[in-house]
Amino acid sequence: MTESSRTFSDVWYRVARQTVTLRPRVEVRRQVFRGEPWHVLYDPFNNQFFRVRPEAYAFIARLRPDRTVEDAWKETLDDDPDGAPGQEDVIQLLAQLYHANLLHYKVAADSEQFFARYRKRKQRERLFTWSNLMFARFPLLDPDAALNRAEPVLRWLFRPWAAVVWCGVVGWALKTCIDHSAELGAASGNVLAASNLVLLYLGIVLVKSLHELGHAAACKHFGGEVHTLGLMLLFFSPLPYVDVTSSWAFRERWRRIAVASAGVVAELFVAGLAALFWASAGPGFWRDLAFDMMIAAGVTTVLFNANPLLRYDGYYVLSDLIDLPNLYQRAQQMLHYLAEKHLFGVRGAPAVADSPRERGWLATYGVLSLVYRVFVFTGIVWVISGRFLIVGALIAVFCAAAWGVAPLIRFGHYLVASPRLERTRGRALGVTSGLAAVALLGLFLIPAPQRLQATGVVQSTAFADVTIGVDGQLEKLETPGGTNVKAGQPLARLHNGELVHQIAAARAQLEELEALWRAGLHQGSRTRVALEEGIAAVRARVQDLEERQTKLVVTAPISGLWVGPREDELLGRWLTRGTALGSIVGSAGFEFLAVVPQADSSRLFAHETTASHATVRLHGQADAALPVSGLVVIQAEQSRLPSAALAQNAGGEIALARDAGREPIAAESFFEVRAGIEPQPGALLYQGLTGRISFPLPAEPLGLQWLRALRQVFQKRSIN
Amino acid sequence: MVNVLPSDDYRRLAVPKPAKLPRGADALAHRALGWWHRRPRQLEALRRDAAAVDAKSGEFEMLDDAALRGRLAELSVPYRLGRDALRPETAIDALAAVREAAHRQTGLRPFVVQLMGALALDRGFLAEMATGEGKTLTAALAAILAGWRGRPCHIITVNDYLAERDAKWFAKLYAFAGLTVGHVISSMEEAERREGYATDVTYTTGKEVVADFLRDRLRLGPIHHPDRRLIRQLVQSHGAGHQELVMRGLHAAIIDEADSLLIDEAVTPLIICQPRTGDSMIEASKIAAELGGRLQSGLDYQVNWRHREVELLDAAFVKLQAAASGMPQAWSGLARRRELVTQALVARELFERNRQYVVQEGKVVIVDEFTGRLMPQRTWREGLHQAIEAKEGLEITAPTEILARLSFQRYYRGYRRLSGMSGTVLESANELWQIYRLPVVAIPTNRPCVRIQLPDRSFADAESKWQAVVEEIATVHASDRPVLVGTRSVAASEALARRLGERGLGCEVLNAVRHAEEARIVARAGELGRITIATNMAGRGTDILLGKDVAAAGGLHVIATEPNESGRVDRQLSGRAGRQGNPGSARRFVSMEDDLLRRFLPAMLRQRVGKKLGGGDAESKAISARGAVRYAQFAAQWLAARQRAAVLRNDTWLEEALSFAGPDVGG
Repeated sequence: MTESSRTFSDVWYRVARQTVTLRPRVEVRRQVFRGEPWHVLYDPFNNQFFRVRPEAYAFIARLRPDRTVEDAWKETLDDDPDGAPGQEDVIQLLAQLYHANLLHYKVAADSEQFFARYRKRKQRERLFTWSNLMFARFPLLDPDAALNRAEPVLRWLFRPWAAVVWCGVVGWALKTCIDHSAELGAASGNVLAASNLVLLYLGIVLVKSLHELGHAAACKHFGGEVHTLGLMLLFFSPLPYVDVTSSWAFRERWRRIAVASAGVVAELFVAGLAALFWASAGPGFWRDLAFDMMIAAGVTTVLFNANPLLRYDGYYVLSDLIDLPNLYQRAQQMLHYLAEKHLFGVRGAPAVADSPRERGWLATYGVLSLVYRVFVFTGIVWVISGRFLIVGALIAVFCAAAWGVAPLIRFGHYLVASPRLERTRGRALGVTSGLAAVALLGLFLIPAPQRLQATGVVQSTAFADVTIGVDGQLEKLETPGGTNVKAGQPLARLHNGELVHQIAAARAQLEELEALWRAGLHQGSRTRVALEEGIAAVRARVQDLEERQTKLVVTAPISGLWVGPREDELLGRWLTRGTALGSIVGSAGFEFLAVVPQADSSRLFAHETTASHATVRLHGQADAALPVSGLVVIQAEQSRLPSAALAQNAGGEIALARDAGREPIAAESFFEVRAGIEPQPGALLYQGLTGRISFPLPAEPLGLQWLRALRQVFQKRSIN
Repeated sequence: MVNVLPSDDYRRLAVPKPAKLPRGADALAHRALGWWHRRPRQLEALRRDAAAVDAKSGEFEMLDDAALRGRLAELSVPYRLGRDALRPETAIDALAAVREAAHRQTGLRPFVVQLMGALALDRGFLAEMATGEGKTLTAALAAILAGWRGRPCHIITVNDYLAERDAKWFAKLYAFAGLTVGHVISSMEEAERREGYATDVTYTTGKEVVADFLRDRLRLGPIHHPDRRLIRQLVQSHGAGHQELVMRGLHAAIIDEADSLLIDEAVTPLIICQPRTGDSMIEASKIAAELGGRLQSGLDYQVNWRHREVELLDAAFVKLQAAASGMPQAWSGLARRRELVTQALVARELFERNRQYVVQEGKVVIVDEFTGRLMPQRTWREGLHQAIEAKEGLEITAPTEILARLSFQRYYRGYRRLSGMSGTVLESANELWQIYRLPVVAIPTNRPCVRIQLPDRSFADAESKWQAVVEEIATVHASDRPVLVGTRSVAASEALARRLGERGLGCEVLNAVRHAEEARIVARAGELGRITIATNMAGRGTDILLGKDVAAAGGLHVIATEPNESGRVDRQLSGRAGRQGNPGSARRFVSMEDDLLRRFLPAMLRQRVGKKLGGGDAESKAISARGAVRYAQFAAQWLAARQRAAVLRNDTWLEEALSFAGPDVGG
């Protein structure tokens, strides 16, 4: 309540003659944090902690039933005039102890206030639950007794050989994953597919249950108590949690660290087993489940649990490692402090950090965790709202309210009414509106480069299908697929028995007619003329048939790489005319076929000239930006993708229509853009390679760009 | 008086716990509720009912005194039975009879607007009534209705003089209505006070009533709540009687000059204390004063005028380090020493003799900044008083030990039926509703006000302002009109008197130091050719009656020599002129060196306005000066309102945080 700590307080008379002491059950421990001694008051009944500095403890220790607060304070003051707390500090301290239920006092306290306080606390808890619906917790049962019984068994998990087994399993699993990385990458695209959600959730629940069991077991093993097991709502999905806060009272730092990291350790072990199973098992339910468990464990560990920037296990480990308890809160305070001091010019605010090193830690952590939280939450909201229609919109609205509007209102209130800003409110308002103006100017007036991106696939321009000209049975593959061929080089030979017969029959008929013609030279000219016509017709037919016969040898239409069938696949098969036998890909040139969604197409059409300076980056060679030439937008909606590789189920980005079957039909129709690309040193081009094309558009302020993106999201929703 | 019934205990002791200040959305809803309570329809209802009272009055005019007395007794019955609210006619009949009684007993016949005011007070409003509209009589009408309810009614006014005067003035009227009346003022002893509170209607001042309340609470010991006391009586069988108590509980209060009592002075806590013995503070204060004397402003420390603070700079610490020896043990720590020296500097820089305090008979006596009156009982918070004594080289009194402490704000919130009157209160309607749940209603004036408010005269520096003030006084004096000059401090009033003396103008000075002659000076201030210089104390409640021929000469001329922190106080002072339909005029003088502008106008702005006042056309000068004063007053009021809210929150917090230490006096 009070900022300064004056020696005398106007309300000292309220406490001066009271006799208060710590409650008898309160345990006091001396602990060292960052080389600073502290006294931790711990109440085992309600698991409350309270940390005081030695100077304050010097006062608390003097509180006895036979002397008043005033006596105790005077004695403290005489002993240590410089360090002793002032009257205001003492009042603060006593009030805090009283609120933490650590104080024993004589006067019957205002019982009405007890109830008022209880009601207020309940109300606040409810409010907290609601305002943190994303992370709300519901305690369910007390697993302590069960854990006590299981302790002899669980003890085995903390033996050295358990560590050896853990390292073996996790190491082997890692190697397996690296070996199967391609498969892993392909499969991970489907993790958030609607059909997989139930399984994924099951996987997460399994993994997290074991994770929490890990915490509980470690806490129990090192002497703590675990009294709450409950459900936590993480983005509306219930997950288990256990309360191991009793481990905070462990005196040895490494034990606290062990309890905090036990969850991730257990989880990684399970994920390792799941990975091994996944790699060796055949397709099926169990394999999918193992995969989901593996992904769930991996992703949540890296993004959340082991990451110290969010307040999960990694945070507590870090905070113990660098010996800065309440790291998060203090880092926040540090940022506030820095902002108030340097931006708002508040003077005399109590310093948050005690040493430069601590200051560095707090400030760095504060900034990093803030950025990371914004990043993760936006990412989560983005992914979820992109995938799930109603839930996504709900979450987005909720998050906007909880993390956007509410803090803004609080900040506004702070600016207008905070007593801390009393002296510098003008400056604070000025700086804030200045910064806001700069941000708005930046967002809405200063044009920012803008690019439109689309996925696509590389195709060769010198590309020829090799098709069968005449029906026939494949007799021989003259040139095996995969070799370079020259134009006209025979590729395959067909056999058509009927054709041979037809030729023979036609030739015989021709001979017959010629014989008749010779025999009738002396006959009347009318007969001769008729015969001559017949001969000509039959001769033409022979010629035609012979020509067809030559087509039984399939030759290369152009020079290039012959992409043909395997010989054993088709040999002896009857191939009808028009069947594609394979293709020849010339190395003359390539083009990039991009798929531009409808929503973006209008901008592309409007700025076709600027867009023609597009560049292409291919997957796997993203460092090379290939310039394009001759951009052609095909002005007609299409829905059949130029390559199945662009579809979501093949790792691409385009969602397929539900009833598409095996055909690559996109859910939304799109426009096709063709752009010529040239190979470059370091960029190999080949048929079917996917990549992204990025069209530069005229610069536009970021704010306008975002507004449009938002509108498009809603438009999409309303169409869906 | 021996308590007979447990209900008697309840009446004496139970103080309702006022609701906490709502926050957030609740605060908005609460504020909206306030608007609803102040809606124009309320005034219409008052007007209608007052007209009904007026119509009904004729009925009582015919009665002789004995019959009227009988009717009054009859009409008081529903009040005593608590049934007065059941029928709206009850109040109308009663008020009509009381009006007639007032006419007969005081010779004043209440106007319709005064009836409206009385009705408003009875209904729990805060009535804004223009100065000179007879608020005192209005309060008496409402107090009779309140007294009939059988619960003590306190009429709280600003000073002893008014309390005593009004109690005597209306004694006959109350007696006629079957009520007893008493008053409590600072010079009274315990027995007299008890007598004063034992009456149905008690005239007193805010300070007395809060101090008596606190002393009563101290007499009660640690257990205040009647429930707990009853239980203790049952258990311990020897009852803690209340015969020693002075007051009879908080029931109805009518607060005169409510803006002053409920707003300006509301957060000043009233403190009951006793000297503390065996303290090293005396010695430490001397050393600190000596140490502080070695420090230089700007070099060793900086003064923040706006927040009235002194901040030590780095250079000072070196000097402090060196001066560790000689301090008593308890003060030898650096932090403590720093605190003492800062306090010594605050005493030197921010407290001026004859402004915040005067020295009388070798003692520092505090001057109330709002009323300009001396507060001989009061001391500043721990250490500061000693620091000022050390600065003046006086004998240092032992620091006191606080026994009980209560802010006026919290005290007034404890009344069940609170109502009030003031001349200038509409600006603070929101705050009054928020804190006291008092809806404000503006009662129209009886006669149009013919006071001429002359435009401000503004100057860049104080010297030219004072010269102009003297000129103006001389000019008005030449026309024989009486002049009342308001100053903000004792020092300023004395300085002005000297200036006038040099010009050969005789004047009377009414300030905290010369308060003994107050009644005499006030009585003569309205005579032809008088010049009266007064500190703020003249602004409240004093009725300056015009002498013979004064109205013909143009009435009283009031000069405000400095803008006050709130426009309300300025208007109060101007309101001394042109009362009750008399002619009069008022003018305010402003200089950019005035305290208000120094504290609340940003330095840059102040310089620019000052430069402008040095030259330029009159029109733009006036506009910028007016703007500057308005801004400064707004900033001052804003800061004060926020401080008041903070004090209330802090009180509430303390109440909760320290409930292990037993109930505070309020509970």
